[in-house]
Amino acid sequence: MKPPMHIAKEKDTAAIGFPLVPENDQQAVTLSKMKDLQSSMRSLMVMLDNCTKCGNCAKQCHSYLGTEDYFNFPAARAELMRRIYKRYFTWVGRTFGRFAGAEDFDDETLNKWLTYFYQCNECRRCAQFCPFGIDTAEVTIAARHILSELGLMPKFMQGIAANMEKTGNNMGIPIPAILDCAEFMEDEMLEETGLSIKIPIDKPNSDILYIPSSADFFTNIDTMIGAAKLFHYLGVNWTISSNILEAANFGLLFNLNVMREHNERLKTAAGAVGAKLVIQGECGHGWRAAKMYTEGSNGPVDFEIIHILEYCAQHLEKLPLKKLPMRVTLHDPCNYARAGEIIEQPRAIIRACVTEFVEMTPNRENNFCCGGGSGILMDEMMEIRMKLGKKKAEQVSALGKLDYLAMPCSICKAQIPAVMKHYGIDNLSMGGVMDLVGKAMILGKN
Amino acid sequence: MIIDGKEIELDEDGFLVDPADWAENLVEYFAKQEDVSELTEKHWKVINYLRDYFKKFEVAPMVRKLCKETGFSLKEIYELFPTGPAKGACKLAGLPKPTGCV
Repeated sequence: MKPPMHIAKEKDTAAIGFPLVPENDQQAVTLSKMKDLQSSMRSLMVMLDNCTKCGNCAKQCHSYLGTEDYFNFPAARAELMRRIYKRYFTWVGRTFGRFAGAEDFDDETLNKWLTYFYQCNECRRCAQFCPFGIDTAEVTIAARHILSELGLMPKFMQGIAANMEKTGNNMGIPIPAILDCAEFMEDEMLEETGLSIKIPIDKPNSDILYIPSSADFFTNIDTMIGAAKLFHYLGVNWTISSNILEAANFGLLFNLNVMREHNERLKTAAGAVGAKLVIQGECGHGWRAAKMYTEGSNGPVDFEIIHILEYCAQHLEKLPLKKLPMRVTLHDPCNYARAGEIIEQPRAIIRACVTEFVEMTPNRENNFCCGGGSGILMDEMMEIRMKLGKKKAEQVSALGKLDYLAMPCSICKAQIPAVMKHYGIDNLSMGGVMDLVGKAMILGKN
Repeated sequence: MIIDGKEIELDEDGFLVDPADWAENLVEYFAKQEDVSELTEKHWKVINYLRDYFKKFEVAPMVRKLCKETGFSLKEIYELFPTGPAKGACKLAGLPKPTGCV
């Protein structure tokens, strides 16, 4: 079995601190890492101990529905780890082997893990419908963590980690380029409004540290501009830090120690500018990592962390908004709706910014993932990614003519346009929620 | 990979490992991979802008800046480079593949 993505080369994983474990040692290291997780990630043990194979999750998983591959059925995916767990960690599995659902670690174990734990978007929709609340995302997170500790990871994840080491951000943007981008966006806003709206970088003594989403300094600049206009109008003392340019925390998606380092970076950056409030930009998994794990794994922290859509919703009444004549729907990013309580805020904002808002079905915590979640954005996986996005295409096409699809997460913003094109849904603008705020706000000559 | 007698290292996505290896004669080769059928002056305008920006800032420019500075709309950029500014245009210009949420 050959995994469907480029696997990072030995020299490249070694360069970011994950040397390849020799084949002969793979089993021992895998089991020892599983043992570590037994104590540090108790949730995982609950997920591994309790599945009854009722099959409820099959019809709720877009990955299985799109690919029709047995191992993408959440219970079967989790079994890839559960069987190893049973074999080496439980009496019944050690004693009765296969008859108790246990399986020996063999040559194919890790290839299967690489193949199928990287076709799970960690969207947690299976957990929403499981009678036991089994969350396959936890198993996926654990499996990817163990794989990376063995020096096995997609080139995509390795490339991001290498950029983080070099520049402190996923896209590899050096400080002079960050300043150039900020200046370009300021010029764009000046041209549009006639006002000098600043995007401060590394400004000391700031009350607010804003952490934009990955790619806001590359492709999604209207999201960044929307946030800058909001801060400008509210007259708050804010800055961006070149030490933490992106909310994205890919550690959550491939290695938990890397996640912790990223959280530490957040903590240090907030301290350096003196911020008591940290606002995360439109990034799904980054929000989950920051909200759920900063205090827990790096705490205590002496600042509050909130999301830009929460912050914007709190100030909505004050904003000079003129509704844009548009029919708009919202795609709920999984990590907002099923892992971070950002559900009603984007709806309130969109309703205030446009003339017509329509819900896709299902929505809120029952929404389907875009198919790119957990960083499955590899070009070489495009065929699988389109299968993972099939449900999303069906949901959007059922709504008829739309002007705009709001998708407030950078992974969704990278994945959904490709999905829409693939399934023939055109003439549709797509972008963030803050993009709409930026366009609906009456500022200066507008 | 040997092109015109010179050994060039490419990454898994076919991008140059070392941007310093870029030479004009590689562009034709990359063009075929990225569905660019005929290289025109317009392509070169984009390629030259990307290379100049990269020389100065060691990263690809924001997509909107690329459009503004070259005078092409995003739609025109996609007509010139069907696989997009981040993939096709960057590869032809010898830049590393933009990574992250793109």
